[in-house]
Amino acid sequence: MRIILFAVLAVIPPTLIGTLVLKGHRAPPAEHASASARPSGQEADATLRALFEPPPTGTKIKEKITLYDEKGLFDFIDGAAPIFIDRHFRKLAAAEIATAEGSDLDCAVYDMATPENAQSIFDKEKSVSAKAVDGWPEAIAGPMSFVFHHTRYYAKLTAFDAKAEAALPAVARSLKEKMK
Amino acid sequence: MSDGEQPRAGKVVPESRLRENGKKAEGGDGGNANEMDRRALFRVGVTAAMAVGSVALGLGLRTRDGHGKSKSLPKLKDHRVDKIQGAVEMAIVRGPDAAANVRRAVEAMGGMGRYVKRGERVVIKPNIGWNRLPEQAANTNPDVVAEVVKLVAAAGASKIWVTDVSVNTPEQCFARSGIEKAAKAAGAIVVRPDGPAFREVDVQGKLLRTADILFPFVDADRVINVPVVKQHGLSGATMAMKNWYGMLGGQRVKLHQDIHLSIVDLASMIKPTLTIMDATRILLANGPTGGSLADVKQMDTIAVSSDEVALDAFGASLLGLSPTSLGFIVEGMKAGLGTPEWRNLKTEELGG
Repeated sequence: MRIILFAVLAVIPPTLIGTLVLKGHRAPPAEHASASARPSGQEADATLRALFEPPPTGTKIKEKITLYDEKGLFDFIDGAAPIFIDRHFRKLAAAEIATAEGSDLDCAVYDMATPENAQSIFDKEKSVSAKAVDGWPEAIAGPMSFVFHHTRYYAKLTAFDAKAEAALPAVARSLKEKMK
Repeated sequence: MSDGEQPRAGKVVPESRLRENGKKAEGGDGGNANEMDRRALFRVGVTAAMAVGSVALGLGLRTRDGHGKSKSLPKLKDHRVDKIQGAVEMAIVRGPDAAANVRRAVEAMGGMGRYVKRGERVVIKPNIGWNRLPEQAANTNPDVVAEVVKLVAAAGASKIWVTDVSVNTPEQCFARSGIEKAAKAAGAIVVRPDGPAFREVDVQGKLLRTADILFPFVDADRVINVPVVKQHGLSGATMAMKNWYGMLGGQRVKLHQDIHLSIVDLASMIKPTLTIMDATRILLANGPTGGSLADVKQMDTIAVSSDEVALDAFGASLLGLSPTSLGFIVEGMKAGLGTPEWRNLKTEELGG
């Protein structure tokens, strides 16, 4: 009886240790079906970055273009990240842009891997009180903001003054033209 | 299993008993001697395995939870002031002038002199997380922050810090929000979240045992929380309790894994002197980042209390949310941090 008890007690610590060790090496969860259509990483990163190179017509990049992956997304949008990750977000390119008049605007382009995912996040974030854009059903404009999706990209532009706000549609169209 | 359980293993199979058994085997039934030796050997082996396993497991768990630090770390103080029987517990002021709303609300709560004494060092914690203009309502209103600084200065504080850990680039956030300029003009020292600004603290939370925290929260005698009211994609809303994310360095991803418990864990660590909630403009959707003015609603409201759960419940009502639909409010109540039934507090409502 004692030996059985000893044996049981002896098995517990190694089992727990084994569980902990295995936990650290567990394979990542299986990717969602739609992720199988994802473009390869480096190529997609280069394509994403190229949306800003050269910068949208009549603008310049103020500092740098920053790319964020799933983990880094929390560092850029904090608690808004999960709704993007749930929709198979791949990578974000963010940059602050200056217009020719010296006004600033914030530009964030999310590579959502597929057009369906881009549409989904657009629908999710669509402000009820934002206005539709004439001739562009995949875009909405709120005061100081312009949001659209095209191909696998979802773009959010935010203005910091009235002049930048006036420049938003042109910047958005310039970006859209590059989104093949 | 902890290190403290190691003696138990020794208790189950004491070495002295193993020797006794061996002796009995030698002097007794010679046919069982080898078997007894094997048993004794087996028991020693089992004991050793358990001891090694327990130590290894203990060390593993210590590393996992961040217990492995042997050095002594500072702890956060309790920054609260004693309650006064019959005093107003929550003040809500509505009006077009944000600074005047702050003054009236603090006055209704007994005046800043009740919370800050001459010579004390005070840290003021607005939300400066975002590269956004005041109109976009992602950060605390700069006029509100400036007025709080002025009231604290008038109460005789020897040092006033204004600080936050921004999510976006700090230089941009502190400038674009208008808070750096307004706070400095009002007499505060603005502390940006650069590397040397953090200090490791023993926080003894459920999820965080130690944390890198902006130094003013460690050094200050009084802490005043000045959050803004916003919708939040993950937690439903960000107001008073959630604002404490902004005193931590570099652990956001980890804390977002169990958002409601994390919020309550953080709110349990720090015991602020007062919370002045900014609902001058509130962000109704696409929080916490915002950007579109279509998501912003002008509320012209300031609410003040030392009960963060009550303030969050009030803030939730401004966002059109039921307080009990927000996990961190429910958990905060369970943790004894306050009550969501803010109407049951002695409340003074002014203006409107």
